[in-house]
Amino acid sequence: MKLGQAFKMAFKSIGGNKGRSFLTMLGIIIGVASVMAIVSVLMGMNKKSLEMYEKMGSNRIQVYAYRYDGVSVFEDLYDYCLYLTEQVDGVTPNAYVSATVTYGNKTSDSMDQRPDMYFGSDQYGVVNNFQIEKGRDLSKIDIDNYANVCVMGGRAARNFFDATNPLGKEVRVNGVPFTVIGVYAEKDADNLSWSLDNVIVFPYTAARALQQDTRDMNEFYVKAKTASAATEATTLINGFLTGICGDPNDWNNQKGYFYVQNANQWTEDGNEYAKMMSLVLGGIAAISLLVGGIGIMNIMLVTVTERTREIGIRRAIGAERKSIVSQFLIEAGMICGIGGIFGVTLGTILTLVGGKLLLQTVIWPSFSITVGALAFSVILGVIFGMYPAIKASGLQPVVALRAE
Amino acid sequence: MLIDIRGVYKIYNEDTDAEVRALDGVNLRIDRGEFVAVVGQSGSGKSTLMNILGCLDIPTRGTYLIDGEDVKELDDVQLSHIRNKQIGFIFQGYNLIQALTAYENVELPLIYQNISPFKRRDMVMDAMERVGVADRYKHHPSEMSGGQQQRVAIARAIATRPPIIMADEPTGALDSRTGQEVLHFLQELNKEGSTVILITHDNGIAATARRCVRISDGRIIEDKEQEVDWL
Repeated sequence: MKLGQAFKMAFKSIGGNKGRSFLTMLGIIIGVASVMAIVSVLMGMNKKSLEMYEKMGSNRIQVYAYRYDGVSVFEDLYDYCLYLTEQVDGVTPNAYVSATVTYGNKTSDSMDQRPDMYFGSDQYGVVNNFQIEKGRDLSKIDIDNYANVCVMGGRAARNFFDATNPLGKEVRVNGVPFTVIGVYAEKDADNLSWSLDNVIVFPYTAARALQQDTRDMNEFYVKAKTASAATEATTLINGFLTGICGDPNDWNNQKGYFYVQNANQWTEDGNEYAKMMSLVLGGIAAISLLVGGIGIMNIMLVTVTERTREIGIRRAIGAERKSIVSQFLIEAGMICGIGGIFGVTLGTILTLVGGKLLLQTVIWPSFSITVGALAFSVILGVIFGMYPAIKASGLQPVVALRAE
Repeated sequence: MLIDIRGVYKIYNEDTDAEVRALDGVNLRIDRGEFVAVVGQSGSGKSTLMNILGCLDIPTRGTYLIDGEDVKELDDVQLSHIRNKQIGFIFQGYNLIQALTAYENVELPLIYQNISPFKRRDMVMDAMERVGVADRYKHHPSEMSGGQQQRVAIARAIATRPPIIMADEPTGALDSRTGQEVLHFLQELNKEGSTVILITHDNGIAATARRCVRISDGRIIEDKEQEVDWL
């Protein structure tokens, strides 16, 4: 039998058994699509959280410190960090401000995307990986003069001022007028809802004008120059703070409490988490494929008897073994190929929709997962599609014909 | 001599308590152009005989020469060619492929002969017209009556114009009028030169054949020429 004829015959057989063909395809479609969507979305989630660490700035040291007498340790820490020129780029408080900002008829409380507000030092931008786009950053003079000024992240500036120039505009913070002196360039523009750029930063000394308690200002970030500098600075700051706050491990310490943590540790934790995640993903992928594969196997095996009889008939009217086997091979290959194309299409759609809904960003399916899932399903489908042909074509035709 | 079997045995579960001798030393010669009825009760071994004559099964022992060639010496490809070109089968249960239309079923043996599509179409339609089901060519077996299905099966058997027609209880599932038509058709084929082997349990049906071979318990107990009941 010629190859073209074998293709035609396979096509007729697929068309003549639409129900069976569809069920087989369904197994492949579900197997491929679910693995693609689940794994791709989870991989995207993982990648995004690692990117988030990157954007927030690497080589940061988190410091938590206070004195029992209520005097802020920040001034001392700031001076000490200026002294560590080899290791440190900057230091800032990381204190959340709860205030209402209004400009014209816009108010932060009624915004869909409420801006995050922080008290910072003149080094807030450096520490948090922000670049000034317009105007200027907070300065030491602003801090020393208790200036009523603020710098906005790109997203926050857009939400308040739309396309107009924010520089020099006066906003009211809990009713107190503050002047916008600068805007940071956006660094997290592809995040559609919650964004690192939706921030407003005030000089930490403005806490007085806003009648906020500076004693709560216990958390600080130090930006180190390199990963090794971060390790050195962590040790140095530890020693320095022991002098101010006492030994945190000493129960009789009457001075205060502190801890210093190198945030690179988080990135390492993140990588560790990513590794674990990929193991979990592998497991989920394997189970999904197994379920899809069992579906394919089932439908193929269920039809073995029916097909055995068909093979008996074909043999009785003169089909050679190899004609039968090549017909079934082509048939299974076609069904699985078509199912695979639908599966990849559906998987891509599910990945895109899932990425949009769950992560608010565009995720494309992973190439290797797509190819892997497709190959597994198609190979399984072809093997079990061929199974009746290989088995029944070896029988005496009369035995195959007797199959009920 | 077209068909020549000598000392053929078909034994299931040989040398066990459950041994069954479906054929127990059968000798049979059939010449070109004969019309032979093989008659026997169910379980007599007549279907086993047909399966062996039709190269659908192999004997446990004995020799089968078809057109002078020993079947035992032939490989799968050669046996397939014999089934395809030399023999046309008509089964009691029609054995049509349900997923294919009547046309496609009749076309099947021609496809396995690698006949070109144009020539194939003529041969298929010729065969279907001869048995009077040409107007049903687009129908699937499930959309046809038993008589129509058997005609399609006959069309498939004669489409390749094989020298031998083997029919195993071809009227078994049909009403008597349709059955008569089928038998008449077999007589027509025989008149045109085909060798026809008809397997039946019914003496009345066997009467349509010139030669009657009676089989019982796997042995031929009678082999005689008889008056033909022309239909």
